[in-house]
Amino acid sequence: MSAAPKRRPFDAGSAAYLALNLLLVAFLLAPIAIVVVFALNPTPYISFPPVGVSLRWFQKFFAGSDFMNALALSLWVALCVLVLSVVIGGACALALARGRLPGRTFLTAFFMSPLMLPAILTGLALFQSYLLAGIGRPVWGLIMAHTLVAVPYVLRTTLAVLHNFDHRIEEAAAALGASPTRVFFEVTLPLIRPGVFAGGVFAFIVSFDQFPVSLFLVMPKNETLPVVLFNYMKFDLDGAIAAASMVSILLALSVVLALERLIGLKAYVKL
Amino acid sequence: MTSATIKLENVTKTFDGKVVAVDGVTLDIAAGEFFSLLGPSGCGKTTSLRMIAGFEMPDSGRVHVGGQDITDVPVHRRDMGMVFQSYALFPHRTVAQNVAFGLRMRDVPKADIERRVAAALAQVALTGLEDRRPSQLSGGQQQRVALARALVIEPRVLLCDEPLGALDRKLRQQMQFELKELQRRLGVTLVFVTHDQEEALAMSDRIAVMNHGKVEQVGAPTEIYERPRTRFVADFIGEINLLEEGGQGRALRPEKIRLVTPAEARVSGTIETANFLGGATLYRVQAGGRTWLARETHAGERSPRGPGDPVGLAWNDTDVVALDA
Amino acid sequence: MISRRSMLRTGASLAAAATVGTPAISHAQTKTLKITTWGGKWGDIMKATVLPVFEKEFKCTVSADQAFPFMPKLQASAKNDPLYDVFHTNSNEQWSALTEGLVMDKFTTKEVPNVADVHPWSVSDKIVGVAIFTSAIGLGYRTDKGLTPPKSWKDLADPKLAGARGGYLIPVNSLGQCHLMMLGKVYGKGLQDLDAAYKALEQLKPIKLVDFTGQMEKMLLSGEVSEGVIHDSGVYRYEGQNQPVDFASPSEGVMALEQVLNVPPGSKVKELAYAYIDYMLRPDVQKLLAEGVWYSPANKKVKLDAKYDAKLLTRPEKVATLIQPDWKWYNARKDDIDARVTKILKG
Repeated sequence: MSAAPKRRPFDAGSAAYLALNLLLVAFLLAPIAIVVVFALNPTPYISFPPVGVSLRWFQKFFAGSDFMNALALSLWVALCVLVLSVVIGGACALALARGRLPGRTFLTAFFMSPLMLPAILTGLALFQSYLLAGIGRPVWGLIMAHTLVAVPYVLRTTLAVLHNFDHRIEEAAAALGASPTRVFFEVTLPLIRPGVFAGGVFAFIVSFDQFPVSLFLVMPKNETLPVVLFNYMKFDLDGAIAAASMVSILLALSVVLALERLIGLKAYVKL
Repeated sequence: MTSATIKLENVTKTFDGKVVAVDGVTLDIAAGEFFSLLGPSGCGKTTSLRMIAGFEMPDSGRVHVGGQDITDVPVHRRDMGMVFQSYALFPHRTVAQNVAFGLRMRDVPKADIERRVAAALAQVALTGLEDRRPSQLSGGQQQRVALARALVIEPRVLLCDEPLGALDRKLRQQMQFELKELQRRLGVTLVFVTHDQEEALAMSDRIAVMNHGKVEQVGAPTEIYERPRTRFVADFIGEINLLEEGGQGRALRPEKIRLVTPAEARVSGTIETANFLGGATLYRVQAGGRTWLARETHAGERSPRGPGDPVGLAWNDTDVVALDA
Repeated sequence: MISRRSMLRTGASLAAAATVGTPAISHAQTKTLKITTWGGKWGDIMKATVLPVFEKEFKCTVSADQAFPFMPKLQASAKNDPLYDVFHTNSNEQWSALTEGLVMDKFTTKEVPNVADVHPWSVSDKIVGVAIFTSAIGLGYRTDKGLTPPKSWKDLADPKLAGARGGYLIPVNSLGQCHLMMLGKVYGKGLQDLDAAYKALEQLKPIKLVDFTGQMEKMLLSGEVSEGVIHDSGVYRYEGQNQPVDFASPSEGVMALEQVLNVPPGSKVKELAYAYIDYMLRPDVQKLLAEGVWYSPANKKVKLDAKYDAKLLTRPEKVATLIQPDWKWYNARKDDIDARVTKILKG
């Protein structure tokens, strides 16, 4: 072993490692590549190799009022969910991490529980509750449902930040004359912000892509994009679906990038 | 800078209804005094400090500062400086912004803030580092920022919770001098929590030695060292020979023992080990059925004694201290 | 294919025609009728013409749910205040709904006058509620692969088609279920001869299976499948687009894929719901939808344009080839069948 030549750093081990990584990347990107090919290919079915490049499916997507209404609704819902889950999840995380509450472990598990339940059951259960309560299926009901499943993401990322948070930093601020409110806005909030907003980005994406919870809670003419796409697919399986997926991916990506720019998720990495 | 007296009056603090952290502590700290709370971890020294700061509420007893009962005054109205072992700097703010924080909370005009921040940073020799982030500073520099941040608000009292604990030995000694010098210059009342007896002895005007939530002894460093009142204090501070005479505990410091010829000796025996300490040698001697510690300072030449050599031990009766328990 | 404009024109004449001689329910006023309906081309025609005309004529608003799954949503809502007033599904779901008391059994001319004019299959004992259209399930095939147009269901078993034949996943798609029953009839004693059907299914391996109804036409169009089980509408909708696909009605008969309307008994606007079903059976509405999506109309009096009339099941001799599955019988054994076919197709 000790005599093994060291002159070739590119040995079998690192080659295998590289190959595995490339495989993983390919595995992650292949579906997206197929979507792109399908979206740009003019035939109304998946054909490989593609016969050409056309934007007809994008035209169909952007010209379809059903698609556009759904897209607008999905964006609106996702933005509301982002704001609500950041506020609720952030507050919950603070209470759980700081509140000296009795049964903290239980409460944490309780707030995380929407992740344990299959989302389709959450959707069905809320649907029945809304009907029983006579609420019907208003958009705010949908927003609440999405918020329910999005809050755990904010809760988890915020708790992670709070876990590594030196409580003495807040004490130092208090000793320097900052009231509890000022401590929160001057110190606590800026320091947990990366965690809260990382959770917020998750929340946005969870809502924007949400299908199972929405399935039962959307109203006719007020359907979110994933539900519209699913139902469209049952009748017209053409490139408009792929075009819609492309648009969704790009939108989600731009929201993440915009948040990154605005809030600077990387700013406090060196905490 | 004004300074204030601090008085703890029969203060008790229990955690989770079980663990008694501080048990009926009464302390009188004079204005402008450098006062240390010394003891092993869990002795209640930090909890006592945190009750002065207002981070903890005593279960019973009162806290007075400057003659006023401040037991129910919230932290942010107590006007005290606080320095933590972890520095607790605001990582998202620059050095200058860290130091300016307390002044901003007091709505000091902007021009004054700039002037006072510059002065505070000059005081701790950090001029020029205003725009750095804490993460870009060394440990010693961070500690100075913490100090400047606490002092810039001109507190009546400066509370330090093991402030030098995270520094290496050399830097710690340097900071000890600086802190002591700064405190003397400003005349601020300083309460200093440490588990390092050397540090406490070196810096303090007075020391309170704590154990199991109680104060064992309060006194000047020489008094604590020379005249420990309890077995715990005697044992905790420096090396000691504990003697038992007629049920009464007695203590004798190693440097009070002289190494003599067997003829002059009170007890005779042989040297077990001889540890060279630089300015002195610490001997471990087997004599009279027990082990003795004896320290010989090298005023002149070093004594040529080694393990196995026969030796006699002698001391003055006045150097033997009687212990309470 | 009809253009959007011609569709709207038909819609306008529809509206004009509607003002005369309809037994309109005048007390319906501005009630809301909650219905389920399909998406795709069908949904486009419904939203563009059929529903607006109905709303205007009956002075109501229609809330049309196109989002699956309809059945669980109906199940989850209270029986005395159901989520839907008109429940549009394929036939098999209506039978499940009936056993749970979620829909009514049959309609007479009293509730739905146009029932007087329908083909027998529309209200046969195989139907719960009333069927307003049907597709014919037969065989679709590529015309550019040198295949002889299939004449029998048995042609799908031709060894030449190994790996190029297509079918539906039997547990999730009613076209697959219809195919299985047809195998029992073709190879055994009848639609309910499951043992023969299982044996025949074994012979069809390897077979490409799809789950959504609309997927088979894509398989045919892309050439992944050369011959497969499909409903006529799935092939005819490409009429005039120069696609190399055609539909064949096997000599043993075609299976019915009915579009059925029904009313949950707890509906608060039953009269309006009946009126809607009656409206959907009206010749003008039937013609518009039949020609729009290539469904065979239930109303005998509908006169389709020649090119549709030539292909859809309008004349008695063609209607006679339609075989209706017994979904009550099938649903009762569905779990066993699912387990069995899954095993067969896995091995």
